[in-house]
Amino acid sequence: MRDGTPDELPPKVHMPLLDYITSTSLDADYAQAAERPEEQQPKQVRPGLAALVVMGLFGLLVATAAIQTARNAGDESSGRDSLVNQIKARSSQLDARRARISTLRDENDSLQQLYLETTSQGRALSARLDRLGVVTGGIPVSGPGVKVVVDDAPEATSDSQRVLDSDLQKLANALWASGAEAISINGQRLNNISAIRFAGSAVTVNQVALTRPYTVLAVGDPDTMPARFVETEHGRDWLDLHAVPGLQFKMTSEESMRLPAAPARILTVRHAMEGETP
Amino acid sequence: MIAGLGLLVGIIIGLMLQPEVPLWLEPYLPIAVVAALDAVFGALRAFLDGIFDDKVFVVSFVSNVLIAALIVYLGDKLGVGGQLSTGVIVVLGIRIFSNVAAIRRHIFHA
Repeated sequence: MRDGTPDELPPKVHMPLLDYITSTSLDADYAQAAERPEEQQPKQVRPGLAALVVMGLFGLLVATAAIQTARNAGDESSGRDSLVNQIKARSSQLDARRARISTLRDENDSLQQLYLETTSQGRALSARLDRLGVVTGGIPVSGPGVKVVVDDAPEATSDSQRVLDSDLQKLANALWASGAEAISINGQRLNNISAIRFAGSAVTVNQVALTRPYTVLAVGDPDTMPARFVETEHGRDWLDLHAVPGLQFKMTSEESMRLPAAPARILTVRHAMEGETP
Repeated sequence: MIAGLGLLVGIIIGLMLQPEVPLWLEPYLPIAVVAALDAVFGALRAFLDGIFDDKVFVVSFVSNVLIAALIVYLGDKLGVGGQLSTGVIVVLGIRIFSNVAAIRRHIFHA
């Protein structure tokens, strides 16, 4: 076999796999059975009882496989349908709950209002709540007041020509001193624990970085506040800053303005507890 | 004729009984059907060639079904069940096509 030509090798050695599969697609057993000596051959070449049974088995197999596949397909699609239905049911449930939350919230507010209104003590409490809300920045306020816009000096080169955190602190203090009831800087409401600080190169108020120019809104009496402003120590400081390093400063009276509430994180009392009534 | 009768009876029994296939057997059923189909077409070709043999048909049918299922089972155990199923289907498919081509030549002489 060593020096044999390809013809002497069995066909499965030198034939490409697919060609071999094609050429031997009929089981060789049939040919071998046919080549057996005459006396060993079965009398008939027609299918007998065994073929009947095997064909029956084949039919059973095909029918079972078909039924099984159909059944599985049904299971899969019904599973998907039930999932879709569940999703729809749950999301509509969620919508209903959300609607209920908002109605309950409204109801709470109106009930609280009603409860406070029913007693004279409650009315006083409600008024006090509103007053405290203005002072602590807990509720948004609107009303007349002054608007102050400050900015760095034009073509500022040194820090003294820029608006620093201390300058904004002075401005806020001067406005409080001149009778402001509520102050916001660039939309950040100030309360008694607000901080005006430098962080990096930006001024932060309530830990929110601001960009210049700084617009300071102060609710108060617009007729008296400008006059009282220049009488305060920090107010005069600001007039000086406007004069010498040239910081931009512009104060105007406003008929009506609206200040937002302070962010919740500076409204929480962290250490103070309610004291014992003596 | 008798084979067609057997097929009909088998299908009717299957449709009437609707046997429940055990879950562990379910993945091997389709491949067993393809293997059985190959044996049946081989037998039909042998019948038309005039060399049909009952015993060979029974043995080739049973061994085809068992080996196909065994290969897929082994593949599942080795983690290549999908690839091995594809391989079995390709080989059996080619055999079925060439057997059907031979049958077609017998019937239509073309």
